[in-house]
Amino acid sequence: MDFESLSGDLRRLKERALGEIAKVADPAALEQLQIQYLGKKGDLTAVLRGIGALPAEDRPRVGAVANEVDEAVRGALAERGTELRNVMQAQRLAAEQVDVTLPGRAVPRGTLHPIPETIAAIAEVFGQFGFVVYEGPEVEDDLTNFQMLNIALDHPARDLWDTLYVDIPGHLLRTHTSPGQIRVMQSTRPPIRALLPGRCFRYEAVDASHGFEFFQVEGLMVDEGTSMADLKGLLDEFAHALFGPRKTRFRPGYYPFTEPSVAFDVECVVCGGVGCPACSKSGWMTILGAGMVHPVVLQYGGIDPERYQGFAFGMGVERISNLRHAVPDLRYYLENDLRFLEQFR
Amino acid sequence: MRVPLSWLREYVDVELSPEQLAERLTLLGMEVQAIEQWGADWRSVVVGELLTVEKHPHADRLHLTTVSVGSGEPLHIVCGANNIAPGQRVPVALPGAVLPGGRRIERTEKMGIASEGMLCSGDELHITTDADGILILPPATPLGRDLSELYGDVVLDVDVKPNRGDALCLVGLAREVAAATGATVRWPEIAVEEAGEPVTDRLRVEIREPELCTRFVGRWVSGAKIGPSPDWVQMRLQAAGMRPINNVVDAANYVMLELGKPTHTFNGATVHDGTIIVRRALPGERLETLDHIERELTPDTLIIADPEGPIGIAGVMGGFDSEITDATTEIAIESAVFDPVSIRRTGHRYALRSEASLRFEKGQEARLARIGADRVAQLTVAWAGGSIARGRIDTAPTEPVSARLAFRPARVSKLLGASISVDEQRDLLRRVGVETEAAPTGTRIQVAVEPKALVVDAGSEEVLVAVVPTWRRDLAIEADVAEEIARVRGYETTPAHLPETLMPAYRPSPLTVREIVRGALAGAGLSEVVTHALVSPLDEARLLWPEDADEPALPAQLVAQSGVEIAVTNPLSAQHSVLRQHLAASLLDVLSLNERQGRPDVAIFEIGKRYAGVDGGPREWTRLGLLLSGAAEPASWNRTARQYDLDDAKGILELLCRRLGLPEPSYVPDTRGFPFHPGRALLARQEAGNEAVAGRLAELHPDALAEWDLRAQRVIVAEIAIAGLDVATPRRIHVEPIPRFPEVERDLAVIVAEARTAAEVEACIRSHGGNLLRRVRLFDLYRGAPLAATEKSLAYRLVFGAKDRTLTEADLDAVTAEVTRGLKQELGAHLRS
Repeated sequence: MDFESLSGDLRRLKERALGEIAKVADPAALEQLQIQYLGKKGDLTAVLRGIGALPAEDRPRVGAVANEVDEAVRGALAERGTELRNVMQAQRLAAEQVDVTLPGRAVPRGTLHPIPETIAAIAEVFGQFGFVVYEGPEVEDDLTNFQMLNIALDHPARDLWDTLYVDIPGHLLRTHTSPGQIRVMQSTRPPIRALLPGRCFRYEAVDASHGFEFFQVEGLMVDEGTSMADLKGLLDEFAHALFGPRKTRFRPGYYPFTEPSVAFDVECVVCGGVGCPACSKSGWMTILGAGMVHPVVLQYGGIDPERYQGFAFGMGVERISNLRHAVPDLRYYLENDLRFLEQFR
Repeated sequence: MRVPLSWLREYVDVELSPEQLAERLTLLGMEVQAIEQWGADWRSVVVGELLTVEKHPHADRLHLTTVSVGSGEPLHIVCGANNIAPGQRVPVALPGAVLPGGRRIERTEKMGIASEGMLCSGDELHITTDADGILILPPATPLGRDLSELYGDVVLDVDVKPNRGDALCLVGLAREVAAATGATVRWPEIAVEEAGEPVTDRLRVEIREPELCTRFVGRWVSGAKIGPSPDWVQMRLQAAGMRPINNVVDAANYVMLELGKPTHTFNGATVHDGTIIVRRALPGERLETLDHIERELTPDTLIIADPEGPIGIAGVMGGFDSEITDATTEIAIESAVFDPVSIRRTGHRYALRSEASLRFEKGQEARLARIGADRVAQLTVAWAGGSIARGRIDTAPTEPVSARLAFRPARVSKLLGASISVDEQRDLLRRVGVETEAAPTGTRIQVAVEPKALVVDAGSEEVLVAVVPTWRRDLAIEADVAEEIARVRGYETTPAHLPETLMPAYRPSPLTVREIVRGALAGAGLSEVVTHALVSPLDEARLLWPEDADEPALPAQLVAQSGVEIAVTNPLSAQHSVLRQHLAASLLDVLSLNERQGRPDVAIFEIGKRYAGVDGGPREWTRLGLLLSGAAEPASWNRTARQYDLDDAKGILELLCRRLGLPEPSYVPDTRGFPFHPGRALLARQEAGNEAVAGRLAELHPDALAEWDLRAQRVIVAEIAIAGLDVATPRRIHVEPIPRFPEVERDLAVIVAEARTAAEVEACIRSHGGNLLRRVRLFDLYRGAPLAATEKSLAYRLVFGAKDRTLTEADLDAVTAEVTRGLKQELGAHLRS
């Protein structure tokens, strides 16, 4: 055995290894080759066993050749390994392709009803100005619903509220949220900023714009010097919050429990004030009624009208919702047809 | 109130366009709800002149006419009326014309002769009520002109508010126009030419109820001839929305619209002894009113009577027997002031409201009783002839003077939040006829009147006295003066700014908990509904929803007390006549509606009230209602359908508890049966002392589904009380430190008899698990081989941990052994190995 034949063996081993590595097609076979050539009992080790028979001066030279072969085979194995992994990953990815245009896995979707949603929106706006939410009973007594609001038993204005009465003496289904004014004033002292949402009832035949059950939000503010200018300022903020930057106006209105009384109009949300069927060509839409709390009402609330003054306003929740969502028929709200409700998702 | 502008212009000059006028009136508080073109529906109707009128050769009752309409060839028109003659000017509907009511006029043939249009009666044009004769126009009416140009008008529909009865008439609205524009109001010239015998010879009036009839003015007209009113009168009444009757009744109606003064005219010949008595009805008295309805009068009804009996319901409607007929010649005129409350009650009692009673209800100016009587007499003789007896009967000839109302200009400014000078306030009031003067010292201020009157000293503030015109009965307190100033000045001048006053104290909102519940449930796939509180008593009866108060398992402080159904005494329909005592029926109605629309998959919730009468008073409770039916997960390309069941409802409740920071509920079976599935109903509650949620969850009994005609096989319904739904009770989550030592798990498969509930098994595990046991979760339920048919296996994962050390196998073995012992001893259970 001499240096030449041994290094020749090493070179042939390298050639054979590189050839087989290049041909191998799967990682398991590649691992086999690694063991076959570079393992403890592998071919390279076997060849190197002959090194002992060489003269001492040749041994480092053979060692250098062996290192070179080892590196070359190791490198080829690693390179081939990477290649194979890349190929296989590409194959897997190709096989996993899906039609990404298929619809997603449906998450159950619920919806929120526009009436509580509108109440929440109104409460959010006034909440920013310090108005806190109260609630009054829906089965009210006549005294609070009418008489304490300056609507005597035979007041002609009672025609404004066609009433449903119940079989509990002295009680009725509240015709508006205004009795809440009395209840708030009787339960707390000024400064008062209160919001009273809730269900109301009237003796009213049902059609596209009337119902015997509906919802209102009442507002009440009482303090020393609370004025109509405060009312106008707050209502302007409210209208802008819900309907965007639109013109607003007060015009005279009539309620027995406020004096002076006003109607609050917003530039028509449909035509923008030009005049259209939705606003009866006036360019304005009335969104609520308001006024300065009548001295009789303040007194029933236990508040001295000489010291305090205040305002109240009341709005129909469905009306606000209609204007925001273009709901064409009041009956939609209490019918709960899913084809209506699902539009509020 | 309908206001024809041409009529209004008699009392005030109007320079503005109808649209401008409408805007000004609206901003002054007289809301114009519509601007109507009166006569807009007389299309292609022009003024023609009859040239010839001849008999129709084939029909006795028809005429052949030739009519000039100014230009072109004369038209040949066949006409059936008898009041026509050559030379008359008449309305001609040309071919293509469309008359009120949509009647279309075409070129036709009538009994063999072509007719090129139609001559119109007043009735066909809705101008007058004469349907027999052609409307004969004044000779000077310009030929060929469109009738709508000549007789058309603009009519404003004004919504007069209930406190402004004084403006329910043309003169009243003219006053408002004058206030808006600065024009002057012209009163109609009221002049009465009296003749013959004194009225007292013909008419006697006896007031037996002076409280209810504060003034009665009577007049008498003799020798009138009843017939139609002049065409122009009929046109005005028609445009104002009132049907012409005859010249005497029309005179009274005309005065009501002109002055706001309702009066009544009686056929004088039918008033026995010429004596009118104002009194309450006697028991058993009856009266046939003008609308031909015989009415039984109740003793609290104020009536007009003669010595023989009732002849009218005061202020509401006259009697049929005393009405003006074609043969009437003697006319008794009643112009009275009645108590508004009495009139209002009477109107309600007989479900009878008239234009007259509407005005009486709002209160009448005493002065108008005199003026109205004179005006009706004047117009009656002008239109029907005859003579007015001398003098008038007047039960209260002294007329009240103007009221004087003190106010503080500084208060007016303070209320309005605008600084308005004293001079400007006085000027503004003058525009609505309110004069002002300095107040004598010591004048007190009327801040409020009955029912809660308040009069205060003005102190050092400047005080003015407003002299209120007699017709403004609505101005009674200082704030009323402020309103007059504000509305005449224009509310558009109201400044706007945000309040600078103190903020109120914090108060938890009742909406807070509801918002959390709503958000969680919508996120869980449920849709929110809002249903009627008024339901049918039948629905309540056929569902037989049990009373919560009868359940010892439910915490008393959360459940609704037992009570009686609250019924509406004047319901619109039986369908909505009682307040609901539970939410389930309402939710079933929603399911039913959507099933009928082909939408069987319904998962809904409502936060709403239930109501009951308790101890004679009303009570209301806010509840969460749930209904689940159909597919929880509808079939999809990547998933098969799954139907809702009771477990979904429980899962939703458990989700809510987590969202609200409440302990998990426990479940107690409810095996009552109807309306529930006897094996699928439960009460949910929490451990004593920690109860914040209580309610019922159940699959409905098939018989209950049949009651609602539902197609669904299974419907899950729940009604749940949650503390905080009515008034928020804030809850805090207390955080436990993250464990420093690892937790360890043990799985136990517990084999028990079928009759044992999961709740029992879990409770037993917990009670024997000691303080190392942190959590217990059921992860499998198994029935079948090798278990006996009477057995089931419940597999639980138990999680253990300690705060101060890592647990050892020995620890776990000890606890597991104790749990196993407990299960065996208490439930006869053993572990599956």
